[in-house]
Amino acid sequence: MSGGVAWRSVFVGALVALFAFLTAANFVPKEQRVASAFWPDEGLRMGLDLRGGIHWVVGVDLGQAIARELEFVRKSIQERLGKDGIVLEANVDEQSQLVLRIAREEDRKKVLDVLDETNVLESVGSDGLELRYGLTESWTQDVRERTMSQVLEVLRRRIDDPQRGIPDSVVTRQGDDRVLVQIPGEEIDRERARTLLKSTGFLEFKIVVDADASEETLRARYPDGLDPAMAVVKQVDQESGAEVGAYLVPKVADITGDYLEDARVQFDQQQRPIVEFTFSPEGGQLFEALTEKNRGKQLAIILDENVYSAPAIRARISTRGMIEGRFTADEAADLAVILRAGSLSVPVVIEEERTVGPGLGQDSISKGALASGIGLIAVLVFGFVYYKVSGVIAGISLVANLLLLLGLISLFEATLTMPGIAGLVLTIGMAVDANVLVFERIREELRSGRSVRASVATGFEKATWTVLDANITTLITAIILFEYGTGPIKGFAVTLSVGIVTSVFAALVVSRLLFDLYLGNRNVSTLSI
Amino acid sequence: MPMEIVSHDMNIDFLGRRSLWIGLSGLVIALGIAATLLWGMPVGIDFAGGTEFQLRFDPGVTADEAQLRAVAVGAGFLDAEVVRFGEADSADFLIKFKALPEDEMAAAAAGEADGLAANTRVARLQSAIRESIGSFVEQRVEFVGPKVGADLRRDGANAMLMSAIAILIYIAFRFSSRYAPGAVVALIHDVLVTSGILVVANHLGLRVEFDLQVLAALLAIVGYSLNDTIIIYDRIRENLELQPTADLESVLNLSVNQTMSRTVLTAGTTLLAVLALLIFGGDVIFPFSFTMLIGIVVGTYSSVFIAAPILLFLERRYGGTKGKPGTLARGGATVKRARA
Repeated sequence: MSGGVAWRSVFVGALVALFAFLTAANFVPKEQRVASAFWPDEGLRMGLDLRGGIHWVVGVDLGQAIARELEFVRKSIQERLGKDGIVLEANVDEQSQLVLRIAREEDRKKVLDVLDETNVLESVGSDGLELRYGLTESWTQDVRERTMSQVLEVLRRRIDDPQRGIPDSVVTRQGDDRVLVQIPGEEIDRERARTLLKSTGFLEFKIVVDADASEETLRARYPDGLDPAMAVVKQVDQESGAEVGAYLVPKVADITGDYLEDARVQFDQQQRPIVEFTFSPEGGQLFEALTEKNRGKQLAIILDENVYSAPAIRARISTRGMIEGRFTADEAADLAVILRAGSLSVPVVIEEERTVGPGLGQDSISKGALASGIGLIAVLVFGFVYYKVSGVIAGISLVANLLLLLGLISLFEATLTMPGIAGLVLTIGMAVDANVLVFERIREELRSGRSVRASVATGFEKATWTVLDANITTLITAIILFEYGTGPIKGFAVTLSVGIVTSVFAALVVSRLLFDLYLGNRNVSTLSI
Repeated sequence: MPMEIVSHDMNIDFLGRRSLWIGLSGLVIALGIAATLLWGMPVGIDFAGGTEFQLRFDPGVTADEAQLRAVAVGAGFLDAEVVRFGEADSADFLIKFKALPEDEMAAAAAGEADGLAANTRVARLQSAIRESIGSFVEQRVEFVGPKVGADLRRDGANAMLMSAIAILIYIAFRFSSRYAPGAVVALIHDVLVTSGILVVANHLGLRVEFDLQVLAALLAIVGYSLNDTIIIYDRIRENLELQPTADLESVLNLSVNQTMSRTVLTAGTTLLAVLALLIFGGDVIFPFSFTMLIGIVVGTYSSVFIAAPILLFLERRYGGTKGKPGTLARGGATVKRARA
């Protein structure tokens, strides 16, 4: 046993030194760490609740993506059957089901064949000549995945925009239909960030058929109702939110923002900011044809169902155009970012928001540090008073434990949150447990008249499985908490589980080694415990 | 002479009055349930959905809860609750209101109006406060939509359920299946008693509600209490191996007495750390610290007064020959015992 002491000392000493180094690295400013070859570049990350910032969970309307896919399928089916001279009434209802009404019974077979050919539909019931279809499970999944990756990509492009993006932000997928956006920094303009995130960014160009000052007066001109292929879009003033005009335009856009290649801010003659955009060559040709044909008419530039401007077409335009509105330079710059990043294929809604403003995060850090410090000192003092020299051993082991814990989570580059600090403080209290178990055992052995050396050996031996059993079960609950927890709570689960592992190591390996070193080769008759 | 808080030759009959302890716990749980039915369960925005907005008034601006609430109600936030953080003259306030109902939310999202009704509401509330009371710094805004709230509720319930199942399996594997129910009943006991106390504390005006933080604390308590129970069980198993013919109840009593010193010491050091957190950790973490404080006491109690009696009951009822180690220590046979 004593032969291994030297070897174990080197091992434990090196390990604790390494993790102490990793822990210490967190106190070195980031720039210095990156600049120097000595310190590791990365370390413990501060959660948004400690460093301040925004945590957003954005819900993606996948139902709409599915409804749109069904619309697309409906159109192709009707076209396909139309070629065979079969007229079929079809529409997509609110439950995202395709409802088909066969005109004549003899068409049924042909219709079913065509439906079957699509490979993406499955019957969900029929009633006489009415058939109900939904997308197959695998195709639904496919649509969802496609939509999610598109939304993620667009949001990333917006947030990472080289000119106007928000550095250090993280955009990740969460679950089936959500995106997690984390934006660090205390002084962020939340309204701006929210617009950047939430705008669908769907740009359309439509030739204006009719226009008036408001939707009401425009509609009043058509007492018999609108042409079903037409729709009214409003022009709303960006600043006041008041309606300043209404336009009658076709439902289907002539050209969409899909053909955009670039967008940037420029200033017009009056030094007002405008957004200038460039079409791809293909889009340029379409745009050229459209403007040629409709010279003299108004062209409505519509973003997310709101008319930004409706200039009269004076000349043929090909690849370049611009959007005027009454924006500030900042708004124009953000609009350019949104247009550059492309449009979201479905709308998103912010479902959860947690922001921590200036001061509070810093406050939490200092309070957490104070609580940890006082908790640690209280436990150490208690240990010294109760167990004397052995209490010092427990104290050293507890400090080693904390260094291992902090070093390990730094190595993992884990995120430290306020609940994470709570987990740390809890670990300080609970880590002593393993030592207490061993020490109480050693006392029992001493009382039964054994020698000091034998008592220590037996005490550790008997307590080992108890310590393991007790901690493995606690570890199970911590891991489950990690699995189901979100955000800051995950931080708690991380420090708690890592803390359990390091506590067991500290009690069974570090304390054991310290006892062996303390007893040494001397002939001891009493043990201060 | 080593220092002792609990005398090593202590011999208290912990199990003799088990019906009293179980009855007492039952009564506390019943009272907790009654309080919940009477006053309702205080559910935080994490699970119920809603918005919380914490602010700190700039120096020189004076305000109180009633004034702030009046402004909030005036701005259309009829269900706004206002709490002052920290000391009586602190400039920190928390304003809370519920999210829009789901259908209204959907309507707002579908129309061209901002789908984030709750967030534009915060902006509206902020300008109302600035106009009527004075300038402030926004400290924290938390908004949880109804969909996320429902998901978090489900995840929370799953986490509790999964822990219980995992623990049952582990104990059945390491000890014997008759050890598991006692541990799990003790855990359910801890969660129920602690929750009941939280309901009462909330009614008495403490800022504790069931939210993610409190859920994390409850799971930590489950872990802690289990730790305690396992250590006692471990000693019971060992003693049964050493004294195969002894009376089961006296073995259980002996084991509880032998481990009492460590039970008290560990509870003590953990309470020291939690008290540090409660006193110095600040308001943000208060619900967690408070729940832990209650839970550690309850968890320690349940290991001795709930888990052990249930084990006794199950062993007497379903165990093999009374106190026969072969049946009791099943699964633990792999553990090398002391070469005494």
